[in-house]
Amino acid sequence: MSEAILSVSGLKKSYGKLNVLKDINCEIAQGEVVCVIGPSGSGKSTLLRCLNMLELPDGGRIELNGNEVFGHGKPKDLDVLRREVGMVFQSFNLFPHMSARENVTIAQTRVRGRSKQEADARSVEQLEKVGLAEKIDEFPDRLSGGQQQRVALARALAMDPEVMLFDEVTSALDPELVKGVLDVMRGLADGGMTMVVVTHEMNFAREVADRVIFMDQGFIVEQGKPDAVLGNPQEDRTKQFLGLVLSR
Amino acid sequence: MEQFFDTYFDFSLMAEYFGQVLEGFWWTIKLSVLGGILALTWGLILAVLRQLPGRAMAPVRFLTIAYIDALRGIPMLLTLLLIYGGLGTLQASGTIPKWIGVPEFFGYPSAFWYGIMALTLTYGAYMAEVYRAGIEAVPRGQMEASRSLGMSHGQAMRFVIVPQAVRKVIPPLLNDFIALMKDTSLISVISMPEVVQVGNDIYSTTCNPSALTLGALLFLIVTIPLARLVDWQIKKQDEKFQRGIP
Repeated sequence: MSEAILSVSGLKKSYGKLNVLKDINCEIAQGEVVCVIGPSGSGKSTLLRCLNMLELPDGGRIELNGNEVFGHGKPKDLDVLRREVGMVFQSFNLFPHMSARENVTIAQTRVRGRSKQEADARSVEQLEKVGLAEKIDEFPDRLSGGQQQRVALARALAMDPEVMLFDEVTSALDPELVKGVLDVMRGLADGGMTMVVVTHEMNFAREVADRVIFMDQGFIVEQGKPDAVLGNPQEDRTKQFLGLVLSR
Repeated sequence: MEQFFDTYFDFSLMAEYFGQVLEGFWWTIKLSVLGGILALTWGLILAVLRQLPGRAMAPVRFLTIAYIDALRGIPMLLTLLLIYGGLGTLQASGTIPKWIGVPEFFGYPSAFWYGIMALTLTYGAYMAEVYRAGIEAVPRGQMEASRSLGMSHGQAMRFVIVPQAVRKVIPPLLNDFIALMKDTSLISVISMPEVVQVGNDIYSTTCNPSALTLGALLFLIVTIPLARLVDWQIKKQDEKFQRGIP
């Protein structure tokens, strides 16, 4: 593996008395696809949201490309961090008052400082890439969940992030729409994008991930190659969880 | 019954004074439109100030909330009298410059501008609360998505949150605008010759309130369509959100 693009050490987060993240240490290498699995309440979504400071951690360190973006209880260079780290949400969060094209364009012009033409060309290109050439000027409420999620993907990708975070992006989708979104993500992984994917899609994790992290109760319990973690788990909690998930 | 009509609906009197009453109503319209625009703007500024994030902005939030609480809690008539009673005096003693002490922009009388100030200060506070409700009704995910794309809080408010919030609160804002329009009548107490003042003067000379009735009718010509507009807006939004429920 090449050098770490994201490096997390001693990360802690609690809401009042509830300790959601207890002591998280992990490194994500350039081009690596990491799938984070675990029962609900295990802290996997919180970890992801801490990685781009949608939640402020209580302690620990986060480095992006060797630059500290969180340490000593304070975030640093938040704007740089968020510009380089893209995120896609379970609930899509498209801007409902903007067409698909405007959704993808707005941050390019306002944050990346691209010209209108340049940003628009990039939007069209991205929307075509996610298979929505026909829907470029539709508003979100005219799109299916799967299509909305692909617009959200295009919106994040158009910013040319170095790392992409995915927070259960298929959990709110009807089963027949899941594949379209996962296919786009597969393509991204093949293209060398660094990805951290919180997911319940075990088959996706098995096929696409370079590494699977199993979290429970605020800790990383076990991690390794997908075959190892999913096929031959060592820890009891991992076995128990996979037993429940895979026996469906 | 005839007595009743002669008292309230003396058409010959209405015809005789129609020009004067209309002139008064024209002031009412000018007060409402300018006061309305300024209150809508000031209210939005207050609402945005109230939502500023971070500990550094805590004093701004506190002052904004204090202002909104105060101006919503004082009758507009009292605010108006305080402005009217204070500014002229302060200007006379040289404490404040003339443009604010005795404003006469566009050749309009000072009473007009005192009225505009009272409307803006008071209704700005009311409308700030309406905007706030709208801003808070925008799902949290919208701010998260904006920030995760690298937008600042200000950019997210400007391009994502406020445009959605304003759409949601158009009906309640229109309601407040109707209330504002009616409250322009309070400005009559500082000798602003708007429609109520004019009607009342005519009543004093003719001992017949038909000119006031005429004023009331003029109000209704504007406020009833506005009220219909509010209902239509609400219905339009309901249709969007409750599709399929009979």
